[in-house]
Amino acid sequence: MFTWEYPPRIVGGISRHCEGLARELVKKGHTVHIVTLEFPGAPLYEERNGVKIHRVPIELGHPNFIIWTLLFNHFMEKRIAEISKNEKFDVIHAHDWLVAPVSISSKHYLGVPLVSTIHSTEVGRAQGLHTQDSFLIDGFEWWLTYESKRVIATSYAMKREIEEHFHLPSEKIDVIPNGIDVSKYEVNVEHEEVKKRFRINPDEKIILFVGRLVPQKGVEYLIMAAPKIFEQHPDSRIIIVGNGWIKDNLMSLASSTKYSNKITFLGFLDDRDLTELTLCSDVLVVPSIYEPFGIVALEGMAAGVPVVASNVGGLAEIIEHDRTGFLAHKEDPDSIAFGINKILSDPEYAHKLAQNAKRKVYETYSWEAVARRTIEVYRKAIGE
Amino acid sequence: MRFIEKPSESDFVRDKFSRMPDDIYLLHIMHNIGAIDSERALPVEEIARWASMEKQRVEENLNKLVEKGYATLRVDSEVKRYFVTIDGIRKVLSIYS
Repeated sequence: MFTWEYPPRIVGGISRHCEGLARELVKKGHTVHIVTLEFPGAPLYEERNGVKIHRVPIELGHPNFIIWTLLFNHFMEKRIAEISKNEKFDVIHAHDWLVAPVSISSKHYLGVPLVSTIHSTEVGRAQGLHTQDSFLIDGFEWWLTYESKRVIATSYAMKREIEEHFHLPSEKIDVIPNGIDVSKYEVNVEHEEVKKRFRINPDEKIILFVGRLVPQKGVEYLIMAAPKIFEQHPDSRIIIVGNGWIKDNLMSLASSTKYSNKITFLGFLDDRDLTELTLCSDVLVVPSIYEPFGIVALEGMAAGVPVVASNVGGLAEIIEHDRTGFLAHKEDPDSIAFGINKILSDPEYAHKLAQNAKRKVYETYSWEAVARRTIEVYRKAIGE
Repeated sequence: MRFIEKPSESDFVRDKFSRMPDDIYLLHIMHNIGAIDSERALPVEEIARWASMEKQRVEENLNKLVEKGYATLRVDSEVKRYFVTIDGIRKVLSIYS
């Protein structure tokens, strides 16, 4: 499996997806090698939960991101050439365009089928193709889907996007949702202690956002909703977890509201802190303008936290409005505020959403189910 | 064969790099040229060369990055060498994912 991110290198959802899938594939008796990038403090090789993890050092860099990507793909090629001297592979699984060159060359060099999972597309992330880099990334994405024997999309929205944008035959694409480790939310947390750790008053209600601070996540619409939320619920606080290149702009936007002291930016949190904070939250908000899947919404649902999410992409497939969550209009602060206020004002409604959502996650999104369906795709690719 | 179409001139106006503050642009350059741990830390002059930026402007922005926790430095034979922290790496990678 090739991926540019694998824990502790966590950028977006790919890292956790690869970890959950690999661990479950091993449990089912398969041998899994992960070839990924180095990360400060992590060993270049280790076995974790039976998964063989190879972290490739980047021996040469370049300021241009695309050239940097091509360089690290070359270093991954070096590593796979070395590993393949002693190992025989049945299938190669690529995750997104960043590892397209190494995945495609390995497919030809090793003579084994390539399966790729498309977690998102450049045209979706950037809401169009506006730069030379974007056009090239789009080209890489098309090339990866073209060279793959089977393509996995994480939602039907993503499948439609791939079919339409890359003109891929529908029968080549399988839809397998992301999975989630539900057991990590089966813990008791001391709310007061957790709130104290993050300097939140014990009586304050927590409105949580978790994700990368990039335009596609729509965090500005949550901040713009703040006045309408705090007018009705002055005893609440918006907590923003994550980092990203628009963080400074978002902090300026928050400062421009008269409620800046009630909007907290916590930066990146490790898994334990994030789980505990989620379990203490009163509502989780996913205001994305583009979201092929939306694993954060699943995490909130698994934690029993009512979710307010935009009615876009994979989120609209995961959440059933008014039953397992509240679907707000895209890019609409009023709609977001309405959903949050409804949940904070009506504990019975909030409880109903949380219970229904939790049940749905347990039934549908376990890693066991994701791995089982991925193995079926591998079998199709191999021709069994 | 699929051809990659050339974007129009006006498209470049929306390039994310042109909207990025100087310090974050510099952080991205440092990350991509490999200054991601203390052994690979680089002096101001070298970072300025890669970034095509004046040394003084680089120094000002490096100070901002250190203050925000995205970069740090080690002093080696009285030469300050800078590298990207783990938080800084995550900040950079968010641009592309």
